Amino acid sequence: MPPKHYRAPGKKKEGNAAKYITRTKATKYLQVSLNTFRKLCILKGIFPRVPKKKFEGNHKTYYSMKDITFLAHEPLLEKLRQKRAHEKKVKKAKARKNKELAERLLNRMPTYKLDRLILERYPTFVDALRDLDDCLTMVHLFASLPAVEGERIQVKRIHNCRRLSQEWQAFISRTHSLRKTFISVKGIYYQAEVQGQKITWLTPHALQQVLTDDVDFNIMLTFLEFYETLLGFVNFKLYNSINVKYPPILDPRLEALAAELYALFRYVATGSTRKPAENQSISSTEEKKDSDEKMDTCVNESDLQLAQLQHQLPSNEPGALMQLLEDSNNDDDDVDQDTIECKTLFKNLKFFLSREVPREALLFIIPAFGGVVSWEGEGTPFEETDEDIAYQIVDRPTQGHKFLSRHYVQPQWVFDCVNARIILPADAYMVGMVPPPHLSPFVDDEAEGYMPEYAEAIKQLQATAKKNVMPLPDLDNQDLADPQNLIADGVMDRTQANEAAEERQKLQLLEKQYHDELKMEMSGITYSATLSNKKSENSGSEEMQHKDEVVVPVSTEKNDEDDRAKLYMSRKKRGLYEAIEISNQRKKDKVALLKERKRKALASKSG
Amino acid sequence: MGKGKYEESSSDEEVNSSSDVVEASSDEEVESSSDEVEALSDDVESSEDESSSDNEKVEESDSSEDEVAPRNTVGDIPLVEWHKDEEHIGYDIKGRKIKKQPRKDKLASFIEGADDPKNWRKIYDEYNDEEIELTKDEIKIIQRVISGRTPHAEVNPYEDYVDWFEYEDKGHPLSNAPEPKRRFIPSKWEQKRVANLVRKIRAGLIKVSDQNKEEEHNVYSLWTDDTDSVENKKRGGYVPAPKPKLPGHEEAYNPPVEYIPTAEEINSYELMYEEDRPKFIPRRYLNYRSVPAYDKGVKESFDRCLDQYLCPRTRKKRINIDPESLKPKLPSRKDLRPYPTTCYLEYRGHMGPVNCISVDPSGQWLASGSTDGTARVWEIETGRCLKIWEVGEVARQICWNPSPDRPILAVVLEYDVLLLNSGMGDIDIQTKMKELLHISEPGATEDAGDSKSAVTWIQHEKHDGIRMKHFKAVSSIEWHFKGDYFTTVVPSGDSKAILLHQLSKKHSETPFRKLGIPVTAVFHPSKKKFFVATKKFVHVYDLSKVEKIQKLETGVREISSISIHPGGENIIVGSKEGKMCWFDLELSTRPYKTLKVHSKDITRVTFHRTYPLFASASDDCTAYVFHSTVYSDLNQNPLIVPLEILRGHKPEHGRGVLDCKYHPRQPWLFTAGADSIIKLYCH
Repeated sequence: MPPKHYRAPGKKKEGNAAKYITRTKATKYLQVSLNTFRKLCILKGIFPRVPKKKFEGNHKTYYSMKDITFLAHEPLLEKLRQKRAHEKKVKKAKARKNKELAERLLNRMPTYKLDRLILERYPTFVDALRDLDDCLTMVHLFASLPAVEGERIQVKRIHNCRRLSQEWQAFISRTHSLRKTFISVKGIYYQAEVQGQKITWLTPHALQQVLTDDVDFNIMLTFLEFYETLLGFVNFKLYNSINVKYPPILDPRLEALAAELYALFRYVATGSTRKPAENQSISSTEEKKDSDEKMDTCVNESDLQLAQLQHQLPSNEPGALMQLLEDSNNDDDDVDQDTIECKTLFKNLKFFLSREVPREALLFIIPAFGGVVSWEGEGTPFEETDEDIAYQIVDRPTQGHKFLSRHYVQPQWVFDCVNARIILPADAYMVGMVPPPHLSPFVDDEAEGYMPEYAEAIKQLQATAKKNVMPLPDLDNQDLADPQNLIADGVMDRTQANEAAEERQKLQLLEKQYHDELKMEMSGITYSATLSNKKSENSGSEEMQHKDEVVVPVSTEKNDEDDRAKLYMSRKKRGLYEAIEISNQRKKDKVALLKERKRKALASKSG
Repeated sequence: MGKGKYEESSSDEEVNSSSDVVEASSDEEVESSSDEVEALSDDVESSEDESSSDNEKVEESDSSEDEVAPRNTVGDIPLVEWHKDEEHIGYDIKGRKIKKQPRKDKLASFIEGADDPKNWRKIYDEYNDEEIELTKDEIKIIQRVISGRTPHAEVNPYEDYVDWFEYEDKGHPLSNAPEPKRRFIPSKWEQKRVANLVRKIRAGLIKVSDQNKEEEHNVYSLWTDDTDSVENKKRGGYVPAPKPKLPGHEEAYNPPVEYIPTAEEINSYELMYEEDRPKFIPRRYLNYRSVPAYDKGVKESFDRCLDQYLCPRTRKKRINIDPESLKPKLPSRKDLRPYPTTCYLEYRGHMGPVNCISVDPSGQWLASGSTDGTARVWEIETGRCLKIWEVGEVARQICWNPSPDRPILAVVLEYDVLLLNSGMGDIDIQTKMKELLHISEPGATEDAGDSKSAVTWIQHEKHDGIRMKHFKAVSSIEWHFKGDYFTTVVPSGDSKAILLHQLSKKHSETPFRKLGIPVTAVFHPSKKKFFVATKKFVHVYDLSKVEKIQKLETGVREISSISIHPGGENIIVGSKEGKMCWFDLELSTRPYKTLKVHSKDITRVTFHRTYPLFASASDDCTAYVFHSTVYSDLNQNPLIVPLEILRGHKPEHGRGVLDCKYHPRQPWLFTAGADSIIKLYCH
C-alpha cells in the first residue's frame, strides 16, 4: 500500500499541489532571496492565496503557481539579479580600498523602470484610479516626513513625494472634484471623484511626524517606489486631460516661500489658458516669456517685483475672471451636477488664512470649492487689509484687531461647509468658542441607525437652503443655468414621482391579488387535510370566526413565532439566521450605548 | 651612587649622636688618631681626586664598583654589636687589625668642634672608624641631590642630540644606473587599452554617465487611449486589495459627546482581553490647533503595506439578506386550527409529581398516576377527582384499556402491574369486568416454558383487581387496540424484556429474544405489527410471524418515547437530547425530518387519534404542539408545522412536563407536570 500522498515518479502533480506553491519553494524556484522575492511581489502586486486544501500545513503561505511562473518570466527579476551582482562588485572594490573603481561602479548601477509594470497591473486608466487610495495616502505620508539627511529616507524621495502630492492636489482643486473632507485624529481625510471613481486619501496633520523603530522602512520604500511612479503617470494623464503640460515648471520665488501649491495653482490656471489657445492672447505669451525669463535669470529684484505684479493681475483683473468663467462654462457641458455644486459653494468669497491655521489643507480645499484664498506672508495674492475678504480663518483664543466687514471663523467651519455643501452660519465657529462637533461625511446615519444632533441641524439647514434656492432664479448671472437645471429637475422629479406612485399602486394591487391567491391555496390544503381526517366540516367557518379575534398577546406571540420558524430551519440556515440576529443586536446595542451616553451627558449638563 | 651619598649624609647626624657614646679615651690617642685622620683625609682627598677624575668616566659606566675600596675589609656586618667589646674594628687589606680610635670625650669633642670652623663638614665613618671631612664640592653635590637636581651642575640633562654618524656627501647605496628608455616613451599596452575603451565607448558598449546628471521626469502618456482598452489582459484571479475602512464620527478630532467613552468605560477596557480591546479610543480636542501629531501614523501605514503583500486574498460572497427571508414559509397557523392553545383547566390533588396520565376511550375520564403513591381518575369536563387508589408505590405508567366495554386501568408500579376496575360503565359491564378480573386459583396461570418465573398473576384483594408480579422492574405498558392483549417492558430482563399478556386468558409470553435494552414497546394501531424501541433503534416486528421487518435508525443518543400515527405508516420518536424524529416507514429507515425542539429531555411524544396533531412534552417545562398532515398520495411528503408552545408548568427538581396525552375526540391536550398539576389545554 503506497502512502497517502504518493506520486509516482515522472507523474505530474495534481490538484492543489499543482496549483499552489509555498513561499519557501517559490523563492527556491525563482532562485532569489526572500528580500528580492518580497520586492518582486510588492512591485508586481502578487499576493498569497488560500488553497482549498493546505497541502503542506496550515501555517504556510501559499502562492498561486501561475503567479510564480509569471514572476519567473519577469525581466525585472533579471534586473534585480544584475543589481545584486553589481553591488557585490562595489563591495569588493571598497574592501580593496579601490575608491575610484567603487565610485565608478556606483555611478553605473543598473536601474530599472516600472512603467511597464504599471501598465500591466492597471491596463486601463480607471483601474489605476480605482487603486489610488493607498498610493495617495502613502505619498502624502512620506511628503510630511522630515526631510533630513542621514535619516532612513532619502531627502530626494521626500521632496519627490511632496511634489507629486501637490501636483495631485492642484489637479483636484482645479477640476473641483473634491467631494468630502474630514478632520480626524489621524489626519485629514479627503474624498475626490475622478472619472467616476471615488478616491479617498489621508494626509497627516502638518506637524512633525514620529519615525518609529518598529517599522521596516525597506518594505515601505519599495511600496513607495511603485506608488511614486504610478502617481507620476496618473498625474501626467490627468494634467494632459485638462490640457496642461505635465512636469509643471514652478515659480522659484513662490517655491522658496514654501507656497508650492499656490505656485502650482497658478501654473495650472495659466497652463489651461495656454494650450487650447486658438485665441491665444498676447498677454499669455508675454507671461510665458516672463516665466521663461525668470527661469533663466533667477532672482533679479526688479524682475521679481514685475513678476509679482503680473501674478497678481490675472486673479484680480475682471478680464481674467471672465476668461476663467468662460472656461468653466465650457467645462460645464460635460460635467455633472455635483461638480457644479462644488464649484459654486464658495464662489465670489474671499478667504484669508491666519498664520496659525493649517495653510496647505485650506489652500487646497477653498479653491477646490470656488473660493479665493490668501494668507499671511510674502507673495500672497492679496493682503489682510483687503476689504473684500468675507471670511478670515483663525485658530487662536482671541482675535486682537477685527475687521467688521468679515467673519472670523475656525478652520472646522470650512470643512463642515464643504461636507454639508451649504454655507453654514458662522456664529458657532467664532474665535475662542468650542466649535460644534465635527461629523464624518463617510457615515450613512440612516443605515447606522443613529443620527447625531448636529447632523440633524445641518440637514434642516440644507433643506431650508434648497427651498431658498428654488424660488430665486436671479442669484447671479453665471448661475442662471443652475436654477434652470434645478427647476427642470424639479419638474422631472414631479413627473417621476407621479409615475412611481402609479407604479406602486399597481404593484400593490398585484401583490394583494397574489396574497389572496396564496391564502386560497393554503386554506385549500388545510381543507383537504381536514377532509382526510373526516372531521370538523365546519372548521372553515370556525376559522373564519377565529380570524376575527386574532388579537392575542403580542410579545410572546412574536417570540413563539420566531421559535416556531427556527424549529423548522435547517441547521445551516439557523446558524446564519442567528449570526445575523447577533450582528443586528450588536448594532442596536451600539446605538443604545450612544443614546445612553447622550442622555447622561445632557443630564450632567443640566444637573 | 646617589644612594650611597645619601647614606653618608644621614650618617652625618648619627656621628653627632654617637660621639656621646665614646667618652673614655686619652688625649694621645686623640692626637695620634688625628694624625691618622689627616692621613686618611689625604687618602680621601686623593680618592676624591680620583673619583672626580673618574667622574667623567662614571657618567658612562654608571656603577658603584669603581669606587676606591674601603680600608676595612670585614664586610657588611653589624659592627656595633660584634666589635663592641673588641679593640679593633676590622682588618685592613693586608690582614692587620685596625685598632679602634680612642673615644673622645663628648665635651672635648664639642669644644674641639666649637673651635673648628670646618666641624660641620666632618662626618664620622663608623665602618672605618674615622672622621671624614667633606670638601665644599661634595657638600654642594649633597645639597643638589637633596634638592632633587642633578648632582653635578655642569651636566645638562637636556642637551641636543648629536648624531653618531655623518651622512654628508656619502651618496645612496643603491644602483646608480641611468634611467631606461621605456620611462620616456608612452606605453604600448596602455595605448591598446585606451584604444579599446574608446572603441567601446564609441560603439556605445560603455556609457559615460555624467555624475551630476539631473533625474528628469521620464513620464509619458502611459494609457494611450482608453477606448481600445486592453481587455482581460489581467491575469486571472486577481483580487484588488480591499479599501481601508472609512472613518466614522468617533474618529473626528471633535466628535459628538456621545461618542466619547466615559472614564469607567475606558477603565473597563483594561479588563478586556487585548484582542477585544478597542484599538481606537475617541478623544475630544476643543480646537484644531490643539490636535497633536498622530504617533501611530507611520506604523498604521506600515501595517497596511504588510496586509497588502502578506495577507491572502479571496473573494468572499457576502450575503446581504433579510433574516426574515431565511425563515421557511410555513402555512398560517390560523388555517391549521383547531389545536390546543390555552390552558383551560387544572386538575389539582396529587401530592407529588404526576408521572403519567391516560384518557379513557370515551373521552370522559382522565386517569393519572403520581409519585405520591396514588392513582386517580378525574372527570375531564369538571376537573372533579372521582376515584383514588392508594397503590402504595410510585405509579410509573397508567393506561386505559382502549376498548370501551372494558374500563380497565393498567398501572405500572415498581415490579408490579395492577389491572384495576375503574368502575365506569353500566352494570353489565361491571359484572363482566368482575369476571374478567378474577383469578380463581392464584399461581395456576403461571406460564410453562421460558417465562416461568417472569410474571405471576395474582388476585389483588384490596383494590379488587389483578396484580401481575414481574421478576424485574417494569418500565412501560401498552394495550393492543382491541383491548385484550397488552405488553409490558422490563428493560433489564434480557431475553424476557418484552412480555405479551392476554387478559382474557391471564396468560403471558415472551416472543422476542435477543434484543438490546428496550425502552418502550408499542402496538400498531391497526395491523399486526409491533414496535420495540431500544436506545438508538426502533425495531418493527410482524406479530403473526414473529419476525423483524424493519430496523429504524434514529440517529439520536437515547430514545425516550415513541408514538405511532393513527394511519400506522409514520412514527415519531422523542429523544433524551431534545430531538424529535419523524419516520415515514414507507420512505426510509432513516428519519424524514429531525427537529431540535427542546433544550432538555423529551419525556413523551404523542399523536392525536383523529386530528392531524402531535405533541411533545419535555423537562424544559414546555410542550410543543405540531400539525402533521399525512397525505394518502405516496409522492407527497407529510407536512409538519410547529404550531404552539405551551408553557405553564413550573420546574421541580429539574423536571418539567412528565407526560402529555391528547383527548381522543377533541383537539385538547393534557399535560402532567412535575409540579403535581395536570393541565388541560383547549383550542
